[in-house]
Amino acid sequence: MQLFVDGIFLGSIYALFAIGFTLVFGILDRLNLAHAAVFSAGALVGIEVVTRFGLSIWVAIPIVFALGALLGVLIERIAFRPLAGRHDAHFAGLISSIALGAIILSVLQALYGADTRRFPAEAFPSTRLEFLGATFSLLQLMILVISVTLMVVLTWVVAKSKLGRGMRTIAENPHAAAVLGLNVGRISSMTFAISSALGAVAGVLFTLNVNAANLGIGHAVELKALAVIILGGLGSLPGALIGGLILGLAEVYAVNTVGSSWRDMVAFGLLFLVLIIRPQGIFGARKVREV
Amino acid sequence: MFEYSSLLTFIALTAILAFSFYAVLIAGQLSLAQVGLASLAAFTAALVVPSEPLFGFIPPLMIGVVFGMAVGGIAAFVLGLPVMRLRGVFLAIATLAFGEMVRIFLINQSWTNGAQGLSFPKLVGIETAWIALALVAFWFWRLSGSRMGRAFAAIREDELAATTMGINVPRYRMASFVIAGAVAGLYGVLFVHFTRFADPNRFSFETAVDGLVTAVVGGTTFFVGPVLGSVFLSALPEVQRALGIDASWIRPAISGLLLLVVILFLPGGLAGLIPRRKSSTRLVSDPEALPQLEPLPTRGTEVMALRALGKSYGGVRAVRDVDLTLATGQILGLIGPNGAGKTTLVNMVTGVTAPTSGTGTVLGIDLTAKTRAHRLARAGIARTFQQIKLFNRLSALDNVLVGGYRVSRDTLLRRLVFLPSARRFERQAAAVASAQLIRVGLGDKATIAAGDLSYGDQRRLEIARALASHPTLLVLDEPAAGMNHVEADRLSELIRSLAADGVAVLIIEHNVRMMLALCDRITVLNFGEVIAAGTPDEVARDPKVLEAYLGANDDAAAEAAAEELAEVAAESVKDADGDAAGAEGAR
Amino acid sequence: MSAKHLSAVAGGSLLLLALAACSTTAPAPSGEAEAGGLVGSGSGAECSIESEIPIGAAFSLTGAAAQYGSSQKNALEMAVDDLNEVGGVTYSLTVEDDATDPQQAIQVFDGFISDGASIIVGPTLSNTAKQTNPVAQEASVPVLGVSNTAAGITEIGDYIFRDSLTEDAVIPQTVAAAVEKFDLEKVVVMYSNDDAFTESGYQAFAAALEEEGVEVTETLTFSKTDTDFRALLDKAKQSSPDALVVSALVEAAVPLVTQAREIGIDAPIIGGNGFNSPALIKGAGEAAEGVIVGAAWNSASENEQNVAFIEAYTERFDVAPDQFAAQAYAGMQIIDEAVRANCSGEREDIKAGLGEITDVPTVLGEVSINENRDAEHEALVQVVEGDKFAILD
Repeated sequence: MQLFVDGIFLGSIYALFAIGFTLVFGILDRLNLAHAAVFSAGALVGIEVVTRFGLSIWVAIPIVFALGALLGVLIERIAFRPLAGRHDAHFAGLISSIALGAIILSVLQALYGADTRRFPAEAFPSTRLEFLGATFSLLQLMILVISVTLMVVLTWVVAKSKLGRGMRTIAENPHAAAVLGLNVGRISSMTFAISSALGAVAGVLFTLNVNAANLGIGHAVELKALAVIILGGLGSLPGALIGGLILGLAEVYAVNTVGSSWRDMVAFGLLFLVLIIRPQGIFGARKVREV
Repeated sequence: MFEYSSLLTFIALTAILAFSFYAVLIAGQLSLAQVGLASLAAFTAALVVPSEPLFGFIPPLMIGVVFGMAVGGIAAFVLGLPVMRLRGVFLAIATLAFGEMVRIFLINQSWTNGAQGLSFPKLVGIETAWIALALVAFWFWRLSGSRMGRAFAAIREDELAATTMGINVPRYRMASFVIAGAVAGLYGVLFVHFTRFADPNRFSFETAVDGLVTAVVGGTTFFVGPVLGSVFLSALPEVQRALGIDASWIRPAISGLLLLVVILFLPGGLAGLIPRRKSSTRLVSDPEALPQLEPLPTRGTEVMALRALGKSYGGVRAVRDVDLTLATGQILGLIGPNGAGKTTLVNMVTGVTAPTSGTGTVLGIDLTAKTRAHRLARAGIARTFQQIKLFNRLSALDNVLVGGYRVSRDTLLRRLVFLPSARRFERQAAAVASAQLIRVGLGDKATIAAGDLSYGDQRRLEIARALASHPTLLVLDEPAAGMNHVEADRLSELIRSLAADGVAVLIIEHNVRMMLALCDRITVLNFGEVIAAGTPDEVARDPKVLEAYLGANDDAAAEAAAEELAEVAAESVKDADGDAAGAEGAR
Repeated sequence: MSAKHLSAVAGGSLLLLALAACSTTAPAPSGEAEAGGLVGSGSGAECSIESEIPIGAAFSLTGAAAQYGSSQKNALEMAVDDLNEVGGVTYSLTVEDDATDPQQAIQVFDGFISDGASIIVGPTLSNTAKQTNPVAQEASVPVLGVSNTAAGITEIGDYIFRDSLTEDAVIPQTVAAAVEKFDLEKVVVMYSNDDAFTESGYQAFAAALEEEGVEVTETLTFSKTDTDFRALLDKAKQSSPDALVVSALVEAAVPLVTQAREIGIDAPIIGGNGFNSPALIKGAGEAAEGVIVGAAWNSASENEQNVAFIEAYTERFDVAPDQFAAQAYAGMQIIDEAVRANCSGEREDIKAGLGEITDVPTVLGEVSINENRDAEHEALVQVVEGDKFAILD
């Protein structure tokens, strides 16, 4: 039972990163590799806000959310929008976002140095809970709840709201979207803003949970998050959550069966197998190709 | 040893890594497995590289290089078997997963010494690295103008169109994968024998991203791209050091900024800065250069026979129970309102979609689930598409050259050693392509990129491309769409002359007047079923046909067709009445 | 040949020409040229050398190991300033960034070698050193590693020295002390197996535990980039060990220690060199209490030099020094001793001087360099007590 609980909570962290990631990737079909830098930025700025200004974590999170949204708009404006309509937009976006991510990270290093930092111990109550013989922290439970809530809310937004309809139209056909009078630029910006805001908050929660943040934490999770969004199905928000949980469980059980040295082998092997057997992911819909 | 010798060596080595990405990018694939393959090659090479020359004269590095390239190529092939059916980002992530699996595997092996890493003898210096780079660059330079190079470009631009030109897409994609693997193996072996030490972490996701960035920044449409990318990215830190820029966060910030500028403002990468002609090939209008092509089958040979052919998607039957035959020299028209299943039928005939019921034989090949479009194309079928599918970034002439894939020969090996026959074969291929381009009236637009042509020109270019394969059966899907009636008349003339040459033509077109005038026989489809078939006259008079068109709601084309149909039918009835009256009067 | 081919060939040859031009115009190694000024008169404290002695340092100032490199840079700069104030011998220090990339480090070394550096300090990481040090060895330029602890570094050649104790020198002592204090019978060992430093630490631990007859019930590995250790710790907890023995870098040490306490592992935690950082106490807070760390340097040491060093460093950089800083500072002290011994800043003389280092007082205590060119000095076993490292007794 403890194993299962550990797996679920580990997975909910992956999901938290992946939900923002998949929003842009799955819906706008753009792989935003600056997402990892936003994650680190959220964590480090959050720490700064809490330690330097002594604000409560509950004030820090909205600040970080806003910062993430701002970074998202910047990323869209600088790294993606100028590429619109270019035949190599796909590769170029990959690389411009890597470049922008590197810039963000170097600015973070300039501001906060390269040291590992953390939130003060009292930033979040370290309450322990027990359930069916397994123990976990209040924070872990909160992260799981936030992941699930985000997934539900965002799924609703994408499926039902005007913004979501816009996103989906753009995903289908950007030209048609423009013809239909949708403000493609604004909707893209909004999508990036939401995605990055979530990424930044995920950074804060992640840091609270593991009690360490440095410039590289985003990159460490990024690779796993890529696995998660493929496992769950590209662009599927429930998929990102379930994919995260599956990966978390797989890792935890791998540690207990084949040994910790081979843990990541299990994670990537699983990803590899899913891609070969069911490329559209567990929750993805197969796209029928038109001639 | 001089100050910049390591820098120059790293430029060469990084360029080789970038070439391994270039090898897949030119075929439109994104693979991140190369670094894993390089790692495999490097660490296994450590097991076989002898300390003394083999047989006294084969240098140890040579053994390492050959072995490493073999390991890289073979591993790429084995990896390719399952992942080759993936596309785009799925392929990228599957290969990325593979790379990570290799890294974890090697970290956990005792023969690689795990994270402690392995020491290698120093066998590579600046000369070796640049010689290796020169050889790799030479290979890609010679590849770029060969038939194989064109096939890669075609696959990159439009896989489906490439298949229907007779290009065996899976095989070529695998070829690009294996080439990339061999080049990556070369990189791995050279790299560790220059740096003298490596641990499996050296070949990580970050290294793969670096290689990809180098290739893309350099540009993937010209073989010097990887070299330029490597010079740019490898020299950046050194230049910053030389300029005395503070060794701190400011350096990655500057590097990031410059990278951003290059990628945003130089769409073709750095190689785009090098001025060169858009098309690598010139129009060859000399009739002497035309090769002798195989004669078409004699007129009246049956090339297509469909029996109760059908296709259903889930429960929806897009096409059902269609019987159809076509012989050389004939023009068979296929009409019907939108959604009648015409394109689905044509896709089945050309092997693009597999039928779900019935049987069919085209050019002696049975249409089954296993029928591959490129095999039918090889047998002599060529087609155009309703939604134009040109290779947009290639010049008009290069498009037609790809079309001539079936009747040309591969020249890569000959080009590598500059055999005169390579030039001769290329001239022949260019002559065939030029002749078709001139035939459709695009001779003066040969060097323009297909994507920049006007809509009508694009339609004609697609036809020229189809004709370049010297087809026995030509399938045209709405070739006159977007043409005015003068252009449509000229097109009709062209089609008639093809039929006169003995080509079998299957044509879908909404321009009913043109179809009635052009076709020998017409088959009318509605809701996937044949509702009428026969000579143009018979079809025009069939009330079911008019009804079908009138029944199609909200379909401007169908309304126009119905109007034309009604007019033509009225004319032909009047003619017939007139004939009858005349006959009566004569009596 | 078509125009495209012509232009391609032309472009390619231009490029090669440009590169060839670069290579022929590159300045020749200038070390010999300045030779005269680097030899002084007198010896030891009276030594006086006219020219500044050029010292190159290659540290990871950006990238994954940036947090180590920056404290090394700080300490080295401070040491040079301090030594230049003494007079007689002056040093000019150039610190370069290898961006935690061996490829860059090799180029930095190349630059130092051709710019005539008398000695190179660094690089930060052992696996980088394995790629850079052969370059210096070939060019006969001495190298002093100040943080390389992996095996096989000084074996690269007779120009390669280090003042950083290997894990083999520290860990057996740590294990012995811990076994004695806690009566250990069975332990769980955890380490990141994708990092050379922590893996060699693990090997030293494993050997030492075997030596002491302690049973290892479980060996768990993780990745150096991991931060969530709960699953591993739960597994460790199952065998209720007497202690957790951990070889990890401080980035992993902080979350590992806090999470261990969080899930209710109360057994003592024994760490290697990676744990010896004020960041552990700052980061893990109360959870760090009682953690035992074997280390080459102890911040609580009464050593007069050390007390002064910590005070000066903290004042100048507004942060407490860690072991990386102390070892870098000591490195410069050792170099100074080697220079003054022969009163020469020549590469060969420094090399000879380094070989003779015996009982030199530094912030690390009295340091000697043995015949394998590895440092020898007293290692310490510390325990975290009340927000501070204290010596375990």
